[in-house]
Amino acid sequence: MKPPERRVEVILSLAVVNPLVDVIRGLVTELREAPPLPHAAPESEPDFNAIWADELVTGRDCDVGVLLAIFDGDFSLEGRVCFDSENAEPFIRACSAVRLCLRDRRLAAVTDEVLESGDMDAAKLDVRTQKAFLCYLFLATLQELVIQRIEDGTIG
Amino acid sequence: MPDPKTHTLPAKAAATELKPEGPWRVVVLNDPVNLMSYVVMVFRKVFGFDEARARKHMLEVHELGRSVVWRGHREKAEAYAFTLQQWHLTSVLESDEAS
Repeated sequence: MKPPERRVEVILSLAVVNPLVDVIRGLVTELREAPPLPHAAPESEPDFNAIWADELVTGRDCDVGVLLAIFDGDFSLEGRVCFDSENAEPFIRACSAVRLCLRDRRLAAVTDEVLESGDMDAAKLDVRTQKAFLCYLFLATLQELVIQRIEDGTIG
Repeated sequence: MPDPKTHTLPAKAAATELKPEGPWRVVVLNDPVNLMSYVVMVFRKVFGFDEARARKHMLEVHELGRSVVWRGHREKAEAYAFTLQQWHLTSVLESDEAS
């Protein structure tokens, strides 16, 4: 008999998190158009570089799709999100992709030192940047939580 | 998407004829975005490092700006670099012979 799948449910405040999810939704088009990391090897052929980039973009799009799906359904009704062995890894990859895109597209005014420490008075930022910064921190928090649950075997 | 742990290279790319070159280094560069715990997890997953080794490389990346995480032939080095990039870690290949 197949053992029951272990998963983690998190209840989030809709009032707090919905605006942050809207930031992610608003970023999707830019994220899809954002170039992937350049090919890692020197002197590689253009065809190879193009395939490399296409595969990275396809993977990133799939991961972001998983992230957005987590914030549909039960989340929009009661703030509940669920992580399991199917969605946990794509989710944490997508968190990185979105955070990198936020840094490039919404948080140019924030220094890397501040981004790395997370230590900033968000109230001093304009509303758009403030939401982006809070979304950036929110995704890091969820990412950390899911990583911990993967590592302690709660998810799997 | 394909499982990055087992993913090698894009299918068409795998057919590309690669020159029989000497050892290559896979180098991970620092970024201000990815969490330390995330980088450790990725190193463990991609390279099979134990916690201590993964943490050592993560700290090298964080403190020195870069860490050589793997050495070997180009084709496999490219596969590792590709997988690291799927996880959004900035990675580059360097030839050992160039140093």
